[in-house]
Amino acid sequence: MSASVSPECTPLKHEYDSCFNAWFEGYLEPAVAASASSKEREAYSTKKAEEFQQKCGKIWESYRLCVQKAVKEKGLDKLLQQAREEHPLTEPPPNPTQPGQSS
Amino acid sequence: MHFFSQAFNYDHSWSHVVIGMWHKYPNPKCSHVVSIDVLDRSVDPKTGIIRTERVLGCKQKAPGWIVKLFGGSEDAFVREISFVDPATQNATITSVNLSLSQFATCFEQIRYSPVSPHRTAFIQTAEIQARMALWRSAADGLEKWLVQRFEQNAHLGKLGFTDVLQTLGEERQHSPS
Repeated sequence: MSASVSPECTPLKHEYDSCFNAWFEGYLEPAVAASASSKEREAYSTKKAEEFQQKCGKIWESYRLCVQKAVKEKGLDKLLQQAREEHPLTEPPPNPTQPGQSS
Repeated sequence: MHFFSQAFNYDHSWSHVVIGMWHKYPNPKCSHVVSIDVLDRSVDPKTGIIRTERVLGCKQKAPGWIVKLFGGSEDAFVREISFVDPATQNATITSVNLSLSQFATCFEQIRYSPVSPHRTAFIQTAEIQARMALWRSAADGLEKWLVQRFEQNAHLGKLGFTDVLQTLGEERQHSPS
């Protein structure tokens, strides 16, 4: 697992990454399978989103606080703010190869 | 503007590749990536789409002239936004440089999508663009500053030389030839 930008956050980051990876590895394949109907997908997604919060929410909070401080200290907060304003990227980018869309 | 693109297939299932996405670094073959931090992550309870915002710290020696001209250092940071959509089996990663972004942007997009149960397509595109508007305003500012300095110096030059000529004239008047 890669280090955090700040050595003091690295142990928290590793714990958070392990938590996410364990959750994600259990999440992904059933999520693909559950995508056959939108009802099934929503039920599964809601359940797993809650589970993620339950399992990793606490370590995420500690890690987040640590990394936020580090980002500020490195002067990255302003650059990030600018980047977010320029490209919010709140939605997945459109798929140019998807059928039905002009290329 | 410069473009880059490449595409190929990995001989692994989409889910294997997408799980692997989170294990890519640290990587001895990509040792320039030295840190990764998650800044934000959400799991959409309706669509199941996972959105992650990360910041990557890279160490890469820039050519001397770039460092001289733009400042900059060995440490460069990149903002990365990824979406994993299990319903459409698309994973996208968009990256933009944070460092030196006032001069140029490198906008990279990666997409992983299944070709078959055991093959995954990888498509990567990048647009590299210098910020011309900023260049122009910087060049304009530089020119204005140069003109001002030139005017000031020309003015002072005139005053200075007038003094010299005057003093010289007085000396010559007072000394017997």
